[in-house]
Parts: sequence; structure tokens; C-alpha cells
Amino acid sequence: MRKVLAVASGGGHWADLCRLYPAFSGMDVAFVSVHPNYARQVDGHRFYTMRDVSRFDRWGVFLLLPQLVRIILKERPDVVITTGSAPALFALALAKVLVRAKTIWIDDIANVEQLSMSGSLARHVADVWLTQWPGLQTEQGPEYWGAVL
Amino acid sequence: MILVTIGTMLPFDRLVRAVDRWAGEHTEEEVVAQIGERGEYEPKNMRWMRLAAPDEFAAMVDRSRLLIAHAGTGSFLLAAERARPLVLFPRRAAFREHTSDHQLQTARWLREKAGVYVAMTEDELPGAIAAALARPDIAVEALPRYAPAPFVERIRKALLE
Repeated sequence: MRKVLAVASGGGHWADLCRLYPAFSGMDVAFVSVHPNYARQVDGHRFYTMRDVSRFDRWGVFLLLPQLVRIILKERPDVVITTGSAPALFALALAKVLVRAKTIWIDDIANVEQLSMSGSLARHVADVWLTQWPGLQTEQGPEYWGAVL
Repeated sequence: MILVTIGTMLPFDRLVRAVDRWAGEHTEEEVVAQIGERGEYEPKNMRWMRLAAPDEFAAMVDRSRLLIAHAGTGSFLLAAERARPLVLFPRRAAFREHTSDHQLQTARWLREKAGVYVAMTEDELPGAIAAALARPDIAVEALPRYAPAPFVERIRKALLE
């Protein structure tokens, strides 16, 4: 069975990911987010909490990275999918290096007129690199396949 | 009742303070605010909490007739799910309210939707609240629970390939 790790930080990122839930049917999916109480929204799946980080909280990375390494080595996913933000970028990079997972980045729908900073950096670690706005699609990527709304 | 929510990650004192000022001038209206773990301004004219438990928060949304929120996608989805009108107030990077100004983009996108009112500045907030309260019959339109099927299917294929 296909092993999927689905990662998103809080708020709109998590909401975007939940709206893709039917895409995971029949797969073995584990979820990773930043609030333990999100677990009840994906009842029946393994759920992990990761430390949120942003440019306001660079030191949090030292807590985040070991968490992600532990999760990825335990789960050994075939594919990692995320709707952002910064902590998820680390998750994609680590999953690529540690278990050679396929990686999918879907930039958050809130980024209407330009990609998020994490979303721009994601080009280096994402096998599938997507924006949710047709206007942001370019020849060199990201691609537009649709949106969660 | 009017419910104010600022998201769960970063504080947003500018919005909390602006709504608190409005509440002080409109004592006939009950206003409740969830101000986040790290908000420094403590409201004087409205009931407030740092972070309500999910059930408690859901009960407050049920009681509300208007939501006032930061311009995050989550705010819009909440208003759509519970059919409430919504006033959005974008976070600004210049005030260190977020890491970028993307909430301005989100606000410009969502202001086109029925039941959404945007205040770009504190000065615009009373007008946006008044406009929303004047049209209690117009709420944010309900959305299907999941993303459109063609997008879901394409993501599914990418997961399986």
C-alpha cells in the first residue's frame, strides 16, 4: 500500500490539506501538523505534532529538525505532500535525503499574486511543484493543476 | 454577538485594539475576542480569551452573527462552513504581524465574495462592521467540503505514480 506523509502547518495550510482528503483514499497516510487538537479531524490516521517555525522564530528549527527526522525514519513514506509553510519545506528536504521520497509542494491558496517565500524555495526540493493560481504558473514552474476552493 | 478571531500562530494586537475601541463605542453589542497566546493588548470593552478549546470556539461561532478576523484563508473557510458574514483585516509585515504581506493579496481576492467585508486599516474597520451588520441576510456562501474532483484526482495520480 502506498505510504503517504501529509504535512501542513496551522490555519489555512491545514485547511487546504484537509480539503484534499479524498485524494488519499486507499493509501496508508500519516499526518503532521502543529496543533495536537487537529488530530481529531483525521481520526483513524497516525498524527504527529511538529514545532512551527517562521522567520520570526529561527531557533525553533533546532527543535523541528530532530522531530522531522524521527517522524520520517519511522514512517518511511513513499511520497510526502504539503500545502506549506516553512516547517513543511524542511520536511520535504529531509524526506528526499533520508528516504528518497517523492515530494509534492502545493503553495497555499492565500498566495494569490506571488508565491510564498517557502513556496519559491520549494522548487529545489519538490518533484511536483504547484501553485493554486493560474497567473503564477510559468514555463519553469510552478505548475497550476487547480485549487482547493 | 460578534466574534473576533486572529488565528493561532502570531499575535495581532492592532486588530484586537481596533475592535475593542469599536466595542467601547457600541456597548449595545456583545463582542467576544480570541486574542491568541502572545497578544499583549488586553481588551477592556469585550470579553476575551487567549485560545478557546475547539468545542467552546465552535459554540461561540454558533452564537455569533458576525465574524471579524485576520485575512487568512482559515477565516474565510470558517465563515463559509458556518454561513456567517465576515469582516477581514489583513496582517501587515511592516508591523511584524506576519512574515509577508500576503494577507493583502488574500483580502483583495476575498473581498469580491458575497458576505465578505474588508477593512485595510483601523479607520476602515467601523465602516466594514456597519456594512456587514446592515446586511444580516448575506453570509459567506457555503462551500463543498472537499476540493473540486478534477484537482483531487490529479493529486491522487501524482501520489500513486
